[in-house]
Amino acid sequence: MTTLAANAPHLSASPAELPGDSGVWFFIVADMCAFAVFFLVFMVGRAADPALYEASRQMLDLRFGLANTLILLTSGALMAQAARDARRGAFQRARQMMIAALIAGLPFGLSKALEWQAKFAHGLTLTTNEFFTYYFVFTGIHFLHFAIGLVVLIMLQKVAVDDRMPTATRLRWIEAGGAYWHMVDLLWIVLFAMLYLLRAA
Amino acid sequence: MDGTVDTRYWRFCAWMGPLFVLVFFVCWGLLGHNFPPFTPDTPASVVAAYFRENAGSVRLGMVVAMTFAPAYGVWGYSIAKVLEQVIDKDNILVQLARVGAAWTTITVLVPTSFWLTAAFRPEALPDWMIQMLYDMAWLLIDLAYAVTSVQLFALGIGFLADKRKVPLVPKWLAWYGIWVGFMFILECVMPYFRNGALARSGVLNFWIEFLIWMVWVPLLTVYAIKAIGRIERGE
Repeated sequence: MTTLAANAPHLSASPAELPGDSGVWFFIVADMCAFAVFFLVFMVGRAADPALYEASRQMLDLRFGLANTLILLTSGALMAQAARDARRGAFQRARQMMIAALIAGLPFGLSKALEWQAKFAHGLTLTTNEFFTYYFVFTGIHFLHFAIGLVVLIMLQKVAVDDRMPTATRLRWIEAGGAYWHMVDLLWIVLFAMLYLLRAA
Repeated sequence: MDGTVDTRYWRFCAWMGPLFVLVFFVCWGLLGHNFPPFTPDTPASVVAAYFRENAGSVRLGMVVAMTFAPAYGVWGYSIAKVLEQVIDKDNILVQLARVGAAWTTITVLVPTSFWLTAAFRPEALPDWMIQMLYDMAWLLIDLAYAVTSVQLFALGIGFLADKRKVPLVPKWLAWYGIWVGFMFILECVMPYFRNGALARSGVLNFWIEFLIWMVWVPLLTVYAIKAIGRIERGE
């Protein structure tokens, strides 16, 4: 059995420590800095040509953006629950929650494929204009993060019930994976607001 | 065999990394007008005029850059020796770290020869041909990012496996390398743009991509030099 409630006090992270792995946090911060530069580049372009950005923004389908946001937030909430379960030693339940997070997140990929297909069908591509360059590149790189996150979830649900691994190690990796998955949520929320919602003119 | 590790020449080889970065920056970058490069929408006449007027300095820059290109491979091999003290030397990650460094040397040497060709007899070449050589060199050096990513990922994943209480290479630096390898993927869109942030001279595909790699080399060297001392002390 992997339920280790008796160990729970030992699994609680000190309030002064980051949950998960410090190295993974470095990766997350570096990645978020890169996206901050992406956002800055976008805003500079938008300030230079607000009419083009606004006309292009109106060509996006808000329904896809909203659906993607809800999908990722739901999946993120399930992952947060998995980390909470792991922290109290309930690794079997944590595994179930991670599988649920994985299943809840999968439609994001489908939605993204349908959205991009619709754009291509309307002749909108990477080189249509500056707005769509950033739209395809930033959402594409975000999608890559999402795909890596799915692989991480698949690996972590195995790690959660791997009795050969110390519980503290399992918790550390589940929390690190959770932090990464939340970064994917957070970046999408900013992308959603910036690309779909923010009026430029 | 007394169980000690023969670390002779490791430090010398490790210092080849920062030396490579310095020489590459000055010779390829400044003398060759590659730091920053001409934007892709620069007229061919402007690029050709630069090569004709500065043929001597471009030749000097490329010759020295080509001479020092193997320094990157030498450095990569010394870092792989340090990695052998973290994971088994038969581990495929060690081999990938080595081959990634060796391949990167080739991807520096070959495009550098294209810039050198453009500077060899620029007075006899039409403008468009000099521009084509300049473009070809840039497309190769940027799009060959994946071979360096092999080295970055292999070293990053390998050093993360360090079980020491204080790892030879800190985890943050191992993750930084993985992140750099990952960030290089932006180069895939470089051929689609002749200006802007994603062009070869842009803020994303030039300034960020090159700088994060050029910072990684000396940073990893500093920790590798420290690690060699620890290995000699049997830690």
